[in-house]
Amino acid sequence: MDKQNLEVKMQSWQRNQKKENIKYILLSIAGILSFLIIWQLAVMLGFIDEKMLPAPTKILETLIYKINNKPPDGNVLGVNILASLQVALSGFLTAIIIGVPLGLCMGWWIYADRFIRPIFELIRPIPPIAWIPLVVVWMGVGLQAKALIIFFTAFVPCVINSYTGIKLTNQTLIDVSKTFGAPNREIFFKVGVPSSLPMVFAGIRVALGNSWSTLVAAEMLAASAGLGYMIQIGRTVARPDIVIVGMVVIGAVGAILSMVLTRAEKYFLRWKINR
Amino acid sequence: MNRSATKSKGFHHFLYWGLPILAIALIIIGWITFSGKHPELMPEPQSVWDRFLLTFTKPIAKTTLLGHAWASLRRVLLALLIAWGFGICFGILIGWSKTAKAFFGSIFEIIRPIPPIAWIPIIIMWFGIGEFPKILLVFIGTFVPLVINTSVGIEMVDKINLQVGRIFGGNDRQILKEIVIPTALPSIFAGVRTSVSSGWTTVLAAEMLGAKQGLGSLVTRGWQGSDLALVLVSVITIAIIGALLSVILEKLEKVVCPWNN
Repeated sequence: MDKQNLEVKMQSWQRNQKKENIKYILLSIAGILSFLIIWQLAVMLGFIDEKMLPAPTKILETLIYKINNKPPDGNVLGVNILASLQVALSGFLTAIIIGVPLGLCMGWWIYADRFIRPIFELIRPIPPIAWIPLVVVWMGVGLQAKALIIFFTAFVPCVINSYTGIKLTNQTLIDVSKTFGAPNREIFFKVGVPSSLPMVFAGIRVALGNSWSTLVAAEMLAASAGLGYMIQIGRTVARPDIVIVGMVVIGAVGAILSMVLTRAEKYFLRWKINR
Repeated sequence: MNRSATKSKGFHHFLYWGLPILAIALIIIGWITFSGKHPELMPEPQSVWDRFLLTFTKPIAKTTLLGHAWASLRRVLLALLIAWGFGICFGILIGWSKTAKAFFGSIFEIIRPIPPIAWIPIIIMWFGIGEFPKILLVFIGTFVPLVINTSVGIEMVDKINLQVGRIFGGNDRQILKEIVIPTALPSIFAGVRTSVSSGWTTVLAAEMLGAKQGLGSLVTRGWQGSDLALVLVSVITIAIIGALLSVILEKLEKVVCPWNN
C-alpha cells in the first residue's frame, strides 16, 4: 500500500517536473518571438528607419538570397564561411600545437618556466588587435598574416591554462609514481599531462572564442572573401541587411564551433570519473 | 656528498636567475640586430625611445601620449560603470528567477555569440564615429562576460544555504542580499576582471577604425604614416596600461572577496 502510494507520488512529481520544463521552453520561445515581433513592428510602423535596421523578415530574405547569390561582395555565403574558417582554424590550431606543450613544459620544468616566462609576459598584455600594423608590415596581408593575428589571441589562454593545469597535479600521485621508480619524463606523460587535460580544454575553449571573435578584425585588413569581409562590403555599400546577416552567421558558426568542442571534450575526458 | 650538494645548489641558483636574464638579453640583442639590418621592418630601440620623448614635446592631435591614454581609459571606464550596473543586475535577475531566465535569457543567448568587434560596422553605420558609439561598443564587449559570470555564480549557490535562510524566516530580499550575493561575489568579480580586459581590447578596435584621440587612433596614425616607431610606442603603452589594470584588479579582488583563495 505504502509502496503504491510512493509510486503515485513519484509519478505526479515527474508530471509536474515535465510541466515545468514545458513551461520554461514555451517561455524561451515566447521571449525570442516577442523580441522579433517588437523589432518587426518597430520597422513596419516606422519607428526605426528601414535603411538603418531592416526588419527580421528582410534579413531572413537576404540570408536565403546570399546562399546562392554572389552580390554584393562577390562570394556566396558558403565560400565566405569556409574562407573565415580557414583563417580562424589555422591560427587556432597553430596556437594549440605550440601553446599547449609550451605551457605544460613551463608548468613541469622550472628552468623552462624561468626561460620562457619573460618572453611570454612581454607578449601577453598586448591586445591582439594592436599587433595588426606590425604583422602587416612584416608579412603583408595574406592568409599567414591573418592567421598570425589569430594565433596571438589563441596562444595566451592555451599557455596559461596548460601551465595552471599541470601545476595543479595532485602531489600524492606524483609521489606514488616516484616511489614506483618512474623517471620524471614518464611521470610527466602518464600523470601530469592527463591530470591537466580538463584545464587544458578550458583554455582551448577560451582560445576558440578569442580566435573567432578576432576574425572580423583580421579580415578587415584586406581580404577577398570571408564573413568579416562581407560585413565590411555591406557597410561600404550601405546594406545593413548584409551586415546583420554577416553578424548572425558569425554568431551561429561560433556557437556551432563551441558545441563541437564540447563534444570533443567529452570524448577525450570520457575516462574521467564525474563527481 | 655535502660539497656536491652545495655545488648543484649553486648550479641551480645560476640557472634560476641566469635563464630569465638570458631570455631578456636574447630579446634585446635580437631586436637590435634585426632592426639594424631591417630598419623598415622594425625600428631600433633608440628611435622608439626618441619617438616616445617626441610625443610629449610635439603633440599629436593636440594632445600628448598621456592625453591619448586618458582618452582611451575614460571611454573604457565610462562604459564599464554602465555595464557593471546593468550587467550585474541583469545577471542577478536571470540567475535568480527561472522565469526571467527562460524569457530574457533566450534573447541574450541569441545575441551573446556575436563578438563585440563584429558590432563595429553596424554601429558605425548607425551612430557614426563619435564618442557615443565607442562607449556603446565597449559596453557590448563588457556586458556579456558580466552577465554570464553573475548568473552562473548565483545559480551555483548551494540549495541548503537557501533553505537555512528560509527556515530562519528570511524573505526573498534578505536571502538574496545576505546569502546569494555574497556567495556569488567571487564569480561576479571574475566577470568584472574579464570585462576590464575585454573592454580594453574593444576600445582599441573601436578607436583604430576612426577616432581623433585615443591610443588606438595613434596606432592607425603611425601605421598609415609609415611611422613604425609611433606604432611601437603606442603598442607598448597599451600593453603597460593593460598589465597595470590587471594588477590593480588582482589587488582589488583580495580586498573585495578575501575569502576567495
